[in-house]
Amino acid sequence: MLSERLGRLRGAIAQFMYGLTGHEFARHALEMRHEMEAVFMVVTFGDLIGVPVLPPVYSLRLLPFVVPEIATWKRHMAHRKDFWEKDEYDLHGL
Amino acid sequence: MNTLLAVIIGALTVYLAYTLYARRIDRHVIQSDPKRATPATLYMDGVDFMPTNKNILFGYHFKSIAAAGPIIGAIVAANLWGWLPAIIWLILGVSFIGWASDYSGIVISVRNDGNSLSAIAHRLVSPRSRTILFVFIFFYLLLVAGAFVGIMATVLESQLKTQLGVIVLTVMGLLLGQMLYRWRTGLVGATVLTVGVTLIAILGGGWTEDIFRAFNDGLNTLSGGSPLVTYFDPTLANFKGAEAKIMPSLLFWALAISAFCYAGSVLPIWRMAQPVIYVGFWITALAMVLGLSGAAVASFVKPEVAQFVIPAFRGFNPQLGPAGIMPLWPMLFVTIACGAISGWHALFGAVGTARQIENEADMLPIGGGSMFTEFLLGLLALLAVSVGSKGAPVGAFATGLGGFISVWGVPLQYATSLAFAAFIVIVLVVTQLLFRVMRVTLSEWLGEVIPPLRNQHVASLVSVALAILLMLTGTWVYLWQLFGGANQMMAALSLLLVTVWLASAGTNWMYAGLPAVFMWVTTCASILVTAYNLYTNVYQINLASGRMIPVVGSALMILVALLLVVAAIYIGIDSWRAFQRYRHRPLQQPKPAAARA
Repeated sequence: MLSERLGRLRGAIAQFMYGLTGHEFARHALEMRHEMEAVFMVVTFGDLIGVPVLPPVYSLRLLPFVVPEIATWKRHMAHRKDFWEKDEYDLHGL
Repeated sequence: MNTLLAVIIGALTVYLAYTLYARRIDRHVIQSDPKRATPATLYMDGVDFMPTNKNILFGYHFKSIAAAGPIIGAIVAANLWGWLPAIIWLILGVSFIGWASDYSGIVISVRNDGNSLSAIAHRLVSPRSRTILFVFIFFYLLLVAGAFVGIMATVLESQLKTQLGVIVLTVMGLLLGQMLYRWRTGLVGATVLTVGVTLIAILGGGWTEDIFRAFNDGLNTLSGGSPLVTYFDPTLANFKGAEAKIMPSLLFWALAISAFCYAGSVLPIWRMAQPVIYVGFWITALAMVLGLSGAAVASFVKPEVAQFVIPAFRGFNPQLGPAGIMPLWPMLFVTIACGAISGWHALFGAVGTARQIENEADMLPIGGGSMFTEFLLGLLALLAVSVGSKGAPVGAFATGLGGFISVWGVPLQYATSLAFAAFIVIVLVVTQLLFRVMRVTLSEWLGEVIPPLRNQHVASLVSVALAILLMLTGTWVYLWQLFGGANQMMAALSLLLVTVWLASAGTNWMYAGLPAVFMWVTTCASILVTAYNLYTNVYQINLASGRMIPVVGSALMILVALLLVVAAIYIGIDSWRAFQRYRHRPLQQPKPAAARA
């Protein structure tokens, strides 16, 4: 029982430390990836849904990797953002 | 009074306010429901909206809100009114207002589809309130940038052991960005290398002391040892007033900081701003953890560093001579900002954190918990300056914090160097980010009217120039209090918005409404007092002696102060009208989203 509690506490502290340190990098990496994906989607989306035009080979090869991202990508692109919601506004306190 | 007692009082405050008040509001007023879907789960997009573990988000939110504010405010207030009013305001502020503001910023966003405060204000209060909030943000940034550049330049010029650490911090930050994002090195290894080297440079600051002294002297010979600008500063010499002299060396360090901030503003965020902040975070965290734990045990291990040496109370309106009036109310309540309450926290929480909340039950531990932790940071700063030796406030803070750290066996000389570095680092990294935000704000605001401002270099240079102009007024304390007024006013506005929202939902609004009114009245009064002080003690005196730089700077500050008050009155009127409207006729609330399994 005690070791289980200690384990949970250790886990919580590790998560807290990750939040203090690595989470921001992870979020920024996600944003960078999203920006690249957005460009990729814009370039290839027409081809991907191009009916009856046959999609090119590269689209078909990439299709399995893209499909899981389409729903979240659409949501992110559709969300209206104020300019002060940009990453630059993450002021880390004051 | 000793530090152990203060730490116990602080811990008790956190425990009682959290369990007896905050938790009750969360359960009975907000009625947070763990089964209600949050925007993070409803609109998950893998980037902004992302359900995140409570502990991770607590760390992330705390790091995002904790910086220089709680430290500097406590230092200034303890020197003006004594440590007792400062500690009372910290305790009461965080218990009844601070946590409510931070927590409510998250709640209102979570319950409104993850929208930002400005978008909610636009919908609930009035369209113009969104624009006014924008004006607030810009001038708030300008004021804090001027205050931070001023204090940084002074400290860097006078503390010759600190420059090496700052230079190495910059280099290590750039290296860390390269390692993480280009070379794809592991975070742990890169952290050990960059933080380790920076720490060595900080502790070894004495190695280059003579070099920087000679460098400063060399700069000052350029003007033949005479100052470039002379002006009367009523806050110098412990508020007795004295002639301030800007030497070439001070101007050099102000420009060096500006160059650092300019680079942080225009380079990609991963290249400089983010990694420099990360390295700086470890240095500061190390000093704070060692300091706070040292303060708790110092009474037993090293009692000589645990006794308060500054007066408990200097009076409700200390006789400050030429520094003008400085009444405890309202000035204390804006001088100590972030450790008790801060507007920026709510603004950030509504955008950055609310969209990652996985479960409504996490809102209080993350929003309220982070604010209570920040209170402990403010308390530590207050303790450090209260036990530090007499003298310049920042020096007293570093001496006090160094004493706490030395409890753990670190030689006092190195402990004080670490404390000084922690202060400098935490201010410096925030300052570079400030200019980045100012640049974006300026180009978005005036870019349509003045197209050159859309260029990031032009916008950055204009921001830097405005901040340096404010710095040259020579009245740093007024600048800080004006910033505190703007910051606290933003907190009041966010609480007003929460009050309107609660009224629109037909819920009890008192926990947000009463603090909102108190903070709104207090901040309006404090801004007017500061404007009066600036006019009588800086503008008029320097105008009479024909010194135009401080005249222009103080006139600019007075103008900003009046603009802030007018903007606050507009939002106050709009909020009151909206409140009356919803109070008698609450909005139809949409049905909650389907409960999660």
